[in-house]
Amino acid sequence: MINTSMLQDEIQNFVTGASDVQGAALVSPDGLALASVLPGPMDEERTAAMSASMLSLGERIGRELARGSVERIVVEGEKGYGVLVGCGSDAVLLVLAGAGVKQGILFLEIKRIISRLAPLIG
Amino acid sequence: MRILRVVVTGNVGAGKTTFIRTISDTDVIDTDKKATDETAKLKPKTTVAMDFGTLALSNKDSLHLYGTPGQARFEFMRDILIENANACVVLANATRKADLLYARAVVELIDEQLQIPYIVGLTHTDSPSQELSDISALFTKVPITLVNVTDRISIKTVLTKLLEQL
Repeated sequence: MINTSMLQDEIQNFVTGASDVQGAALVSPDGLALASVLPGPMDEERTAAMSASMLSLGERIGRELARGSVERIVVEGEKGYGVLVGCGSDAVLLVLAGAGVKQGILFLEIKRIISRLAPLIG
Repeated sequence: MRILRVVVTGNVGAGKTTFIRTISDTDVIDTDKKATDETAKLKPKTTVAMDFGTLALSNKDSLHLYGTPGQARFEFMRDILIENANACVVLANATRKADLLYARAVVELIDEQLQIPYIVGLTHTDSPSQELSDISALFTKVPITLVNVTDRISIKTVLTKLLEQL
């Protein structure tokens, strides 16, 4: 059984603790939110679905274009980043970060949170 | 030689992914993932982004077929795909009233916003929830037909009827 309140705590600590991280959501591969901390107006349900769609398309394109296994998918906008990373085979992590973030540090922080989340999803 | 974009939409489990897999000339690109909600009671996997298949027509036109996910949370995908569609197939599982109502809602949306040709395809008609004549009453003035999504000839018939409207 997945302990969703522990997942929620981990996500909350991650968002609060990492500077420039504006939000995060842990999502099932079929687009349902498992835990999330998102900026006010964002719709959790749609964000979760979009994350699943995006990751599946990215993986499919990666395979089609012989890019090997996909490590992450990054949407880089004027105002910041959306990063999608697989978290085990049963979850997807979305991280929203501001434009000022240092990519290398962000990706490292994401690796760390994934290693904390993966055993909770089991 | 035209490329015509046809979107195949409809409620969860109506038969969209199967429709495209059955008819596509090329290997279908799909984005199926393990279902974890009530969808799992119907089937193990579900489309989370889109299906893509192609069909060459005898007049040298090429159909590009786009299947949408069925769940409400993926409605944005349907909107994205249908925006550039030349025509639309709306599938409805005849054994489920919710499917029929959903199909009617999609048809009304297309009428209001897109004005592209469409056709409603009833699937699973070997055991419908209502008499087929009752079902037709829900869809007055809407092109509607039966379709077996596991049979190429049945699918070709539906697509031909749809493309006649173009």
